[in-house]
Amino acid sequence: MKFILNTGRTVTQGWHVEHKYHQGYFEETSSCFIHPLDLMDLDLEDGEHVEVVSEWGSVVLRAVSCEDLRKGMIFVPLGPFANHIIPPRTHSTGMPDFKNITVELARTERERLTQWELMEKIGGKRYENQ
Amino acid sequence: MKINDVVCPFCGCLCDDLEVTVEDNRIVAVDNGCTLANAKFMSKERLASPIRRTGDGWENISYEEAIQYTVDMLLDADRPLLYGWSGTHGEAQCIGVHVCELVGGIIDSTTSVCHGPSILAIQEVGHPGCTLGQVKNRADVVIYWGCNPLEAHPRHMSRYTTYADGYFLDNAFRERKVIVVDVRETETARVADEFIRIKAGGDYAVLSALRAIVRGKGDVVPGSVAGVSRSQLERIVTLCKDAKFGAVFFGLGLTMTRGKYKNVRNAIELVDELSRHTKFTITPMRGHWNVYGSNEVFTWMTGYPYAIDFCRGIAFYNPGETSAIDLLARKECDACLIIGSDPGAHFPRACVEHLAEIPTVVIDPVPSMTTALADVQIPVAVSGIDADGTAYRMDGVPIRVRKVIEPTLPNDREVLKSIHAKMKEARGQ
Repeated sequence: MKFILNTGRTVTQGWHVEHKYHQGYFEETSSCFIHPLDLMDLDLEDGEHVEVVSEWGSVVLRAVSCEDLRKGMIFVPLGPFANHIIPPRTHSTGMPDFKNITVELARTERERLTQWELMEKIGGKRYENQ
Repeated sequence: MKINDVVCPFCGCLCDDLEVTVEDNRIVAVDNGCTLANAKFMSKERLASPIRRTGDGWENISYEEAIQYTVDMLLDADRPLLYGWSGTHGEAQCIGVHVCELVGGIIDSTTSVCHGPSILAIQEVGHPGCTLGQVKNRADVVIYWGCNPLEAHPRHMSRYTTYADGYFLDNAFRERKVIVVDVRETETARVADEFIRIKAGGDYAVLSALRAIVRGKGDVVPGSVAGVSRSQLERIVTLCKDAKFGAVFFGLGLTMTRGKYKNVRNAIELVDELSRHTKFTITPMRGHWNVYGSNEVFTWMTGYPYAIDFCRGIAFYNPGETSAIDLLARKECDACLIIGSDPGAHFPRACVEHLAEIPTVVIDPVPSMTTALADVQIPVAVSGIDADGTAYRMDGVPIRVRKVIEPTLPNDREVLKSIHAKMKEARGQ
């Protein structure tokens, strides 16, 4: 099913700005907030996993029921999970399309990667000495 | 020991009324701060020493080694990018410009992924702004457009708008009308007197419709614009025209969505239209505590507010070409110095991939997603906690952030000064 992806700040994401390797940051930024009727259409229960696919890639997130949204829109808090599928083009403004992006959603049994695993997937190295 | 009137170095509100309790050079309590301030002041998870990436992990290195690595990296690069700057103080930003000019690099701040489009719009049509004190004391209509202050700037409404007393308002809470425009019904929307819910990407159309109604041309507006009824738009215009003083605050809902700087230009021109009837102002909700300061410092020193390229030997500015996202997406830069920001978490993957491929140094107190992409990280004292310096609030007011504990690590300007001095020495200057 097609959806409009919106990304942005949340207070929980903000709380973890200096604690990005915490479980709380992982849980918040790997969440996909979605209208409960859309959850039903996708045959998903709250907390189950969903694959979000843009023209730029795909990422597995945890579906979270949320009535703040209109049907047809999902919200993913700002962070490495949302940015895994955000296109880098800026239309000559310097600013990528962080909001209002068309994506496809489907139920999945796959697990989410952690934030460190996402970084390692692209050539990074986790820092675990903390 | 209790320290009063401490400035919070988290968001663009720069709240200056925190009370911090210090015992044995450790912060043990923070009063008056929001949850974001508490998290920052109480954080105990800083790096204790510079680190360098090895084949299978990380090793601690000395400051001398880390600084020498940074100097060599910048001097060896053909197209270095110096990015971040919103999480440090103005004095360090000044040295950053000098370092960039010396190597003919590009300096860009997080502006390019927050209110860069707002600056482009302001450069087209100007900025009818005011200080937050004017809003607090005078505004009887406040519009939050495409922003969610209760989550991103948690004390904005209590210090300056909805819940704040106003010198020229008898009963500010009752007299002040708050209008929220958003695609989501956020917590902020739920406390508004009027919530305008628009369809995603409909900002430009709704702003244009409001301008038409203010101009007396409402008959050209269709019955519904981007999901908003004409009757609601007419009601909003009446509310605005009847205001004694109106203040618009806008966020990334305008700058990050389709239209980008044209959305902001339209919002400024709506304020212009409303100012023909009453007094209206507009202010961007700047995110990082000193991102506004990076624009000020860069403009004094180079003539341009962000995305400045020195490769021609003079300052050149062309967002979309010289901005960090575009440079990284084109895989153009061959080294990167990052300070006071976390592009690893906040840039699109294609840009982050390139950071992982090139030599990268991070100057930051804590491990972040960018740490994973770096070759070296240099920890520093935190501005506003164990380092002092100058910051600019979201309305352009400079505020001195103080240190409340004694530092055990060098601060940003000291590290950058060392880097700059060694580079000049290497260049025989």
